[in-house]
Amino acid sequence: MDSLKEDLKKQIIEQLNLEDLTVADIADDALLFNDQGLGLDSIDALELIVLLEKYHGIQLTNPEEGKEAFKSVDTMAAYIRKRKAA
Amino acid sequence: MIYIGAEVIISPLGDTAEDNWEALSENRSGIVLAPGVGFNKEDIHLSQIAWLNGPLRFQRLVIKALAALKERIDASILTSDRTMVLISSTKGALDDNLHDQFGETCSAVMQQFNLAHLPVVISNACISGVLTLNVAGNMVEAGQYDHVIVIGCDVASDFVLYGFQSLFAVSDKPCAPFDAARKGITLGEGCGAALVSGMQSVFKDKPLELLTGTSANDANHISGPSRTGEGLVRCVGRTMQKHGIGTEKIDFICAHGTGTVFNDEMEAIAFGRLSLSDKPLNSLKGYFGHTLGAAGVIETAVCMQMMRNSMLIKSLGYCDAGTSEPLNIILKNEPKKLRTILKTASGFGGGNASLMIRDL
Amino acid sequence: MKVITAYCNLRADECLVNGKVVARREVGSEDSWFKQIYKQQAWVYPKFYKMDMLSQAGYLASELIKRANPGISEAYSDDEIALVFANASSSADTDRRFIQSYEGGGSPSPSLFVYTLPNIVLGEIAILNKWYGENMFAVLPKFVPGFYLDYSRILLASGSRALLGGWLEVTAGSTDVFLFMVEEKESGTEFNEENLLHLSQTVAAY
Repeated sequence: MDSLKEDLKKQIIEQLNLEDLTVADIADDALLFNDQGLGLDSIDALELIVLLEKYHGIQLTNPEEGKEAFKSVDTMAAYIRKRKAA
Repeated sequence: MIYIGAEVIISPLGDTAEDNWEALSENRSGIVLAPGVGFNKEDIHLSQIAWLNGPLRFQRLVIKALAALKERIDASILTSDRTMVLISSTKGALDDNLHDQFGETCSAVMQQFNLAHLPVVISNACISGVLTLNVAGNMVEAGQYDHVIVIGCDVASDFVLYGFQSLFAVSDKPCAPFDAARKGITLGEGCGAALVSGMQSVFKDKPLELLTGTSANDANHISGPSRTGEGLVRCVGRTMQKHGIGTEKIDFICAHGTGTVFNDEMEAIAFGRLSLSDKPLNSLKGYFGHTLGAAGVIETAVCMQMMRNSMLIKSLGYCDAGTSEPLNIILKNEPKKLRTILKTASGFGGGNASLMIRDL
Repeated sequence: MKVITAYCNLRADECLVNGKVVARREVGSEDSWFKQIYKQQAWVYPKFYKMDMLSQAGYLASELIKRANPGISEAYSDDEIALVFANASSSADTDRRFIQSYEGGGSPSPSLFVYTLPNIVLGEIAILNKWYGENMFAVLPKFVPGFYLDYSRILLASGSRALLGGWLEVTAGSTDVFLFMVEEKESGTEFNEENLLHLSQTVAAY
């Protein structure tokens, strides 16, 4: 089990107040902004930027960059690893 | 008939409607670069009143506006129990008292001017000003009061700036409503006031006619504009229908035009659907920034000045068309007789409001 | 005649609809009081969890009123129900939370900021029901029946056919929520100041 992805799921639920969901409900590749996935909206996307800074120390100054990074938990984890490696 | 007049504007451009008019007619803006005020200590463009600092900024501004308005009307109506004062604001005196953002100001205004009724605050985000003018007109029309004074006021705060920064909605240049390169809003502070009355005689200068409008919710999203402009279409449509005014009668539209990509696009779509795309249109945010709860009152007061001076004012910050539906944006000041104008506003919570003003 | 066809009183420990208790706060529950009601009613609207307390209160009370008065949405077209709400402390509680998000090292929270306006609850109810009608939110020192009477008369004479009125005072220390539906009917509890004041103070019948 990838602990970064599990942590991310917990953080997403916490930061976005998705109290009806548990970590087990979020698949690694579920589309976060698709209604068939988590159905998040534009404010949630901005809150994910806050999450990245709060838990991972990563600053994102252009919301456009988030569009690719926030597709799924998979892409978020990859983005965090890329930024940390840089 | 419902009259509106005695307009007051207090902004970085001046303390009277006339001073503000002079600045607008010279296309001067109140927006300046404020160093280090952003959440991350960035420089931020703001339209801030230089002399307004220290405590009780909201209260002082409201009192100053009402004192100025008093000079322009039969002052004896102020203390009448047939007179009501409505205050339009989003965050009021937040910096003075978080838990009671309006109470102290309302009491102070009532006491200072010896009002018969405690002022009522209307707080509907960015449509507050236009909505409150409509409420005033409706109250007079229904005979609940003879005179209703509307004061729209919001002051600058870290709170609001940081909030809009968290939404990535603050432009790094002075806002450019409807322009292709627009990148967001510029915040402003200011105060506008006007008297709405059923009696022409209480105005020292000739008033105009207020054609009260309606509000409509987008029923779409609390912080994102509708993609279809549905709420704005319904609200403007109902306002025009209520007064039997067809599109051919509208001489000018003072739009909301915040300078965000989605708001301005929504408005362009709505005006297209309303067959109003060819009407001369401006946004005044390039002059005053977005003054939130004050915006609708300040901008309506400017419309009144435009009508009094028979002049269309350039939409400051606009260069290239930047909406999917075309608009007839005013590129330079131009003399024009204005008989009937439309003012609109849209805002958080999905609200839309509109009103019309007609020359007597 | 304009009559009050349904009403809801939501207080710190109990929730009443038309004078009857529909929920009592369970002391010691992990869930907030509003969440207890939401779960108990078995509604499915995940957005509920994202709302601030003002919007949660408006959501719960308006849904309970709809349940007590079924057919409201069908009886009117989508822009005929006006919303007129008021309270004393605006969005102060959420304002405080938003300030906390950026004071002390954190970043300003966009999802809190969007709730720092009292009229957002009107937007939430409009979105949920696809209601495009008139909206107004006023800030008053206390619940004043006359305010609702005056403005409701205006709206009901100019296009709106029904009205959902509300007093929503929800702060860290107190919960005082009263929502009521006003419609045109031949008989019922007349919409007047006396009745409105009386219903706002409804005490649970045991």
